Amino acid sequence: MSAFKILIVDDEELIVRLLSMSLRSDGYQTVSAFSGEQGLEVFKSESPDIVVTDIKMPGMDGLELLKKIKEIDPEKEVIIVTGHGDIDSTITALQYGASDFINKPVRDAALAIALERAKSKIAIRKKLEEYTTTLEIKIAEATEEIRRKSNFQRLLITSSNDAIVAFDRDWKVVVYNPEAARLFGEAAKDVRNKMTIDDLYTPKIAKGFKNQVKDEKDQRNFPWKEQVIHTKDGRQIPVRYASNVLFENNEFVGTVNFFQDLTEIKRLEKELVQSERLAAVGQTVSGLAHYVKNILIGLKGGSYIVDVGIQNNNTEKLKSGWETIKKNIKRIGDLTQDLLTYSKQREPEMELCSPHDIINELVELLKGFAASKNVLLSKDLDKSIDQVMADPKTIHHALLNIINNAIDACIEDEDITKKHEVKILTHIDKNHMICFEVADNGCGMDEDTRNKLFTPMFSSKGGKGTGLGLLVTGKLIEEHKGIIEIETSPGVGSTFRVKLPYTKAKPVDGN
Amino acid sequence: MSKKVLVVDDDPDVRSFVVTVLEENQYIPLIAQDGVEGLEKIEKEKPDLVILDVLMPRGSGIRLYHHLKSHEQFKALPIIMFTGIALRSFLKSQKVLDEFQGAEVPKPDIYLEKPVDPEVLAAAVRKKLG
Ligand SMILES: Nc1ncnc2c1ncn2[C@@H]1O[C@H](COP(=O)(O)OP(=O)(O)OP(=O)(O)O)[C@@H](O)[C@H]1O
Ligand SMILES: [Mg+2]
Repeated sequence: MSAFKILIVDDEELIVRLLSMSLRSDGYQTVSAFSGEQGLEVFKSESPDIVVTDIKMPGMDGLELLKKIKEIDPEKEVIIVTGHGDIDSTITALQYGASDFINKPVRDAALAIALERAKSKIAIRKKLEEYTTTLEIKIAEATEEIRRKSNFQRLLITSSNDAIVAFDRDWKVVVYNPEAARLFGEAAKDVRNKMTIDDLYTPKIAKGFKNQVKDEKDQRNFPWKEQVIHTKDGRQIPVRYASNVLFENNEFVGTVNFFQDLTEIKRLEKELVQSERLAAVGQTVSGLAHYVKNILIGLKGGSYIVDVGIQNNNTEKLKSGWETIKKNIKRIGDLTQDLLTYSKQREPEMELCSPHDIINELVELLKGFAASKNVLLSKDLDKSIDQVMADPKTIHHALLNIINNAIDACIEDEDITKKHEVKILTHIDKNHMICFEVADNGCGMDEDTRNKLFTPMFSSKGGKGTGLGLLVTGKLIEEHKGIIEIETSPGVGSTFRVKLPYTKAKPVDGN
Repeated sequence: MSKKVLVVDDDPDVRSFVVTVLEENQYIPLIAQDGVEGLEKIEKEKPDLVILDVLMPRGSGIRLYHHLKSHEQFKALPIIMFTGIALRSFLKSQKVLDEFQGAEVPKPDIYLEKPVDPEVLAAAVRKKLG
């Protein structure tokens, strides 16, 4: 800080000069005046920090000058130099707000002390001023912050999608946001600060909340629950709600409840279930329709060929058309049978039968078709297996489906350099199950196909497959207390294993 | 002289139906069970028209279609698409898109969705061959 500037006023020039000299050597800056009038002029033009003035001067005296200065700046430090015993002037000077007095003749030490005191007063005042301004700024900032926060909180509550209702310790409603008004159907102006919990909620719910607070003193948050609110105007609204008990310094100050209107969610949930069901039905139906259309194509084609045969008296045509018709009638029969088998619970009809006979029969049946598609059908059967207790229909149906799929997979395979083969194996496994294995080196399945295997009507064969084959197979095997295992790798092939309980003979009737 | 029409379809029922329709309308039918056999017959027998089922095992129908549409010497060969799915599904089918690798799938001359009445099929053939 630059040096203090001191104004010295005295009509005796010598004193002024002496004081000036001594103060300057103490590091002060000085300005001087030799009369009250001049003092005032200099005060105005130089604005010194401290004024030291003699009282007795011709014209404007020190008291007058003091008064004038204080009028300009009431805080200004003015030190008065008085003669001995001049009590009256001293008192007047005090009344005018002089800061300090020193006696004449002015001794350096006394002046120094007075100046120090004045300086520290100035310093303190300055500090105080600083504090006050920063304090004012801080208060202004804090006020703004509080205003913003409470505004924010108010907005938060008003715009919340949850209905928010809060009660004070006497269960009077103090917060009631627009969503609450919508939910409960009572206007905010009729509720806030007017109603109690008993007026707003139905008695059951009101009692519930009150008891919660009473009974579970330590618990402050009550988790979300679902309930139906019966509003006063007779609506029933499904809600999810939670409540919090509010404490301040461990003292109960109120409660707040949050409600979420579930009407829309419930409606959507219902719609979703409905549309999922429809989608599943749709997929099933469209798969089925596709297949039926394919049969229809066959039947129409067949009957046209028969017509042509009749017209032209062509037995060849008649025969071929009739074959087509019969084949497609069988497809309808099989489809109907599959649908029935799938939809009805069926107990396996156990009897003593030879699984190998069934396999041989199937191989005979399919060999020709497989060969025409360049697929080799081979078998490797465990000789130790003979007659078993099983449902021959189940075995026949399951293997027919699986072998057909295996042949199809070979036909579908992109890699025509492979020698395609479907191998049928049997053996008894370590868990005493009879295991039928059908392995192909066809196209295999990717992850997606593998996962969809047992969904109704899933078929990669377009209209040429029902997508019921494995579904029915799986069900029959399950009913037979068996399991089906599948290993597959795209481009390499698939292995299907059907395992059924191995029972060699009829159980002896218990007598 | 009678014109030759090649039927490429993996379904024997469909083949004998189409063959009968062709015979009844004084065309000479040729048959192939898949796309590979189809191309062989086209090269050897030089049919005047191909009736093609695109959705056959191994995607061979689509491949044959692609082959015919992208080779100069076959571009003039008319094709009747004869298949179980709607044209819209055909043009959007992933297998078809994959085969054409992003290039625009050319629309077939005539697209017939099964089942088709014999008269309609005959008319379609006649339209192309007269
Ligand atoms: N061995 C296999 N290799 C590759 N894919 C298979 C094999 N077995 C089944 N699949 C796949 O599973 C699908 C469903 O088989 P599923 O036997 O249930 O019906 P489908 O064979 O399509 O119809 P259908 O049995 O009426 O002929 C097949 O379309 C095929 O994609
Ligand atoms: Mg099948």
